[in-house]
Amino acid sequence: MSAPSHDVHEDVAAYALGVLDEADHQAFERHLMSCEECQAELREMSEVPGLLDALRDDRSDTLSGDHTPR
Amino acid sequence: MPCRIPESRLESVKTNNDHILAEELYQEFGAPLLRHVLRSTGGDLQWAEDVVQETLLRAWRNAGNLRRERGLLWAWLLTVARRVVIDERRRRGVRPRETEPPDADAVPAPDGAERALEAMLVSEALRQLSPEHREAIEQTYLRDRTIGEAAEILGVPPGTVKSRLYYGIRALRGILKEKGVAS
Ligand SMILES: [Zn+2]
Repeated sequence: MSAPSHDVHEDVAAYALGVLDEADHQAFERHLMSCEECQAELREMSEVPGLLDALRDDRSDTLSGDHTPR
Repeated sequence: MPCRIPESRLESVKTNNDHILAEELYQEFGAPLLRHVLRSTGGDLQWAEDVVQETLLRAWRNAGNLRRERGLLWAWLLTVARRVVIDERRRRGVRPRETEPPDADAVPAPDGAERALEAMLVSEALRQLSPEHREAIEQTYLRDRTIGEAAEILGVPPGTVKSRLYYGIRALRGILKEKGVAS
């Protein structure tokens, strides 16, 4: 049996989060430009990663490193 | 924020239109993008400014492929900015803590009480997801891992991670809407 297939449109979530591997990222972007369905979903989803970032705030100490806030 | 695209990168510019677009991008998206990126850099302004520059530079290079429709362009910019941040974090070798998402009382919020409340509600919403959906989000975005890396760790095909992420993010958005956090 081959690997379970998945719908290319489903890549929109991974794309919105910015976690697609580079080749997939490029491929999905090409798909996105011609798929209105995915464009609509991307607009809807684009707010979610920023909200998830609320959970990162406690890590700001470990991230400052050489980029000290001014 | 001033337009600071390095001279060397302007060599390929042939027409005035490109210059206009670069300026338009900075004017229209520079400030809102910086506010967003500041969240993912943990309030690090200098880093956030670098990310915004790199993101708008990439947008400007891809201008030919991008629709000028505002909502889509904004979503595109957010995605690119996230990738730039994640790349940099990985380059520095800084890893998020290997812990569960923090509870609200463990989250110091730079933006004050509102941000703390948001963190609590998002954390709550995550806990309402199915374990598989929550795990997909935690093992990718929240740990700065790509789909491929998460798939290896979870021992499932990449397509499965993408699919779980898709349904997980949709469900999460629905819950956050109910809570009045997402629009
Ligand atoms: Zn599509």
